Amino acid sequence: MEANSLRLFKKGFSDGIPIGIGYVPLMVALGVMAVKIGLGFGISQLMYCLLYSGTGMAAVLNLVSSGEMMVFTYLLTFCIVNCRYVLLSISMSQKLDPKMSTFSRMIFAFFNTDEIFAVAMQQKGFLQTPYLFGISLFPFLASVVGMFLGLVFTNFLPASVSSAFGILLYAMLLALIVPPMRGSRAVSSVILLAAGISTLLECNPFIRRFLSSGWIMIACSVFTALLGAVFFPVDSSNKKEIVNEQ
Amino acid sequence: MDNNALVLAVFLMGGTQYLLKMIPLVFLKKKVENKFLSSFLFYIPYAVLTSMTIPEIFNSTSHVISASVGALIAVILGLMNQGLIVVSLSATVAVFIVEKIMNIF
Repeated sequence: MEANSLRLFKKGFSDGIPIGIGYVPLMVALGVMAVKIGLGFGISQLMYCLLYSGTGMAAVLNLVSSGEMMVFTYLLTFCIVNCRYVLLSISMSQKLDPKMSTFSRMIFAFFNTDEIFAVAMQQKGFLQTPYLFGISLFPFLASVVGMFLGLVFTNFLPASVSSAFGILLYAMLLALIVPPMRGSRAVSSVILLAAGISTLLECNPFIRRFLSSGWIMIACSVFTALLGAVFFPVDSSNKKEIVNEQ
Repeated sequence: MDNNALVLAVFLMGGTQYLLKMIPLVFLKKKVENKFLSSFLFYIPYAVLTSMTIPEIFNSTSHVISASVGALIAVILGLMNQGLIVVSLSATVAVFIVEKIMNIF
């Protein structure tokens, strides 16, 4: 049992490494931004550790630099953007080891991110506690260190390099959603539909006038997943071909 | 805004975000038996991650052309079942090279 936990922890830790590497340039950029708008070193790191969210931190920095005083407006926008976590967590709850303790679940919930979720959901079988703690460790440390680098060396990354790194996390998400498309009509349909609808809505100035991209993301995800459930219901008999385990 | 108000705001934001992540994980311990609902939950990760990535990926670098090349590389390597590191770093390097070439012209 002990040896098995250690093995799972190590597997999780190595799965977390690419995610952590992806966070570094993003966090360097946020650190540089924090220095530019005159936030202190300690308070920037403290805020980041409380939030542990790149998009959240970017939102806070925008709030500070714009001198926005209405904390409530900001909270509301922030909630809308983060509504996706409810969907992701509900989906993930089905994949956790039923024996995982409430305490471990509460700890893991803090360290869960979009990317960790995406990688963990690709694993076969139930997710065990040691694996989840293992995968959580490196991304958190890497992003704190990344922000530190940005705060200390504001010219750490030349513009051409940080522009290129901008695509890294998105490319990683593509690396997670593209392979399951092979050989599964159901998954490809859902992904292509989501991509199409999301693009149509995001690029439509009329819709953008009253729907923020957070809302568009939620609406588009719920709609396509519903269509998937209607047209390609998953049960134990056809699970193998839809999941397309290789 | 002074530092105290800022930390308070961050506490509230972090707290709500944490609750959004934590409540489903802690309180949904039963398996969803309903076929429609479990199918919906099966497709949710693909739907959410796709809506997050597209079209945002095309604005993720300093130019839409370099971003498109990077995205194309990522899709091709993904279809070839390459791992996370290979896909994400290849896309990043591709963007870097394309932007260098674009700077020459």
